[in-house]
Amino acid sequence: MVTLFRRALVAIGVAGFIAAVLRLRGSGGTPVRDGGWRELTGPDLR
Amino acid sequence: MAGRSVAVIGLGAVGSRAARQLLSSDQVPTLTVRDADADRAETVGRSLGSTTTAELPPYTDAVEADIVVLATPAGTHGALARDLVARNRSVISVSDSIDDVTALADLDSEARERGVSVVIGAGFSPGLSCVLARHASADFSSIDEIHVAMSGTGGPACARQHHRALGDWAIDWRDGGWVRRRGGSGRELCWFPDPIAGKDCYRAARPESLLLAPAFGGVSRVTARMAATRRDRLTARLPMLRPPHPEGGPGAIRVEVRGWRDDQRHVKILGAMDRPAVGAGTVAAVAALSVLDGQVLRPGAAGLAELVDPVPFLAELARRGVKAAVFEGLTG
Repeated sequence: MVTLFRRALVAIGVAGFIAAVLRLRGSGGTPVRDGGWRELTGPDLR
Repeated sequence: MAGRSVAVIGLGAVGSRAARQLLSSDQVPTLTVRDADADRAETVGRSLGSTTTAELPPYTDAVEADIVVLATPAGTHGALARDLVARNRSVISVSDSIDDVTALADLDSEARERGVSVVIGAGFSPGLSCVLARHASADFSSIDEIHVAMSGTGGPACARQHHRALGDWAIDWRDGGWVRRRGGSGRELCWFPDPIAGKDCYRAARPESLLLAPAFGGVSRVTARMAATRRDRLTARLPMLRPPHPEGGPGAIRVEVRGWRDDQRHVKILGAMDRPAVGAGTVAAVAALSVLDGQVLRPGAAGLAELVDPVPFLAELARRGVKAAVFEGLTG
């Protein structure tokens, strides 16, 4: 029973560590975007 | 307005740039500067040239100037401004701390009585973000939402303030009341002007809503978010693990205004990309020049959205190299 409990704790610890690494270092990528930025010039500033 | 004098207190990344921008104007022939660090005050004062008087600590008297730019660390602006307003001085504050902004806003009635200006949050954000919100609002018959996001930090004091803000409570304006939200929550992907581009942004203890909600009567939602990484969020409630960069990096702001135009929903997004310390210093200097030239719309304490006409203000910023941009297209 103690061994089972210890193994469960180790498994949870390892899973938590891997999840933390993925959470901190992983990237979901950046969604696509249509459009862009245009500098405000003369007509915009009148 | 000739003969009115200007001083800058705090010569970090923002204050030293504000001083340089002020001295590049004909309206400011001489400048007084102060900093709690005597070496820094002396070095920056010397680098600014012979038209600058560097006063060294300890300071027992208030600075002798008609307009004072406060670029000291967050948390110090309320007491300094109270003392200056009591002496009939106008104040330009670059603080982005909620406590400072609240303390400065409390000076409104006294500043009005004395006929002086207290420009609150005259930095990159709040500051330029408030001017952009006012400029964007001209495109609408009525606006009901303003959402501000910023990325990047100025000097080390600014970086420490941002670190604290991410771990503190955010204040949103929602349906006529203030709502406290946990800092680091509410992730939203925000597109900033290039090359900053897309960044995940989160709620933080930012003062933009405190300045924008009173400036735009009838608006139902005002929020402010800050770009952060997952590590930033994880460590926000701990002391800073690494010392901040002395100059910060490139940053950007983004202001999204939603409302009605010609009976149809309309959205306008304005932004700017610059080093936040450069942007903040330039905004503070142009705000001080607006006060100096009598171009502020009224005396009293308020943010730039209430105090300046955005078009000449943005034109002057563009002339000094801080350029705003409009987003044209769709995100998704």
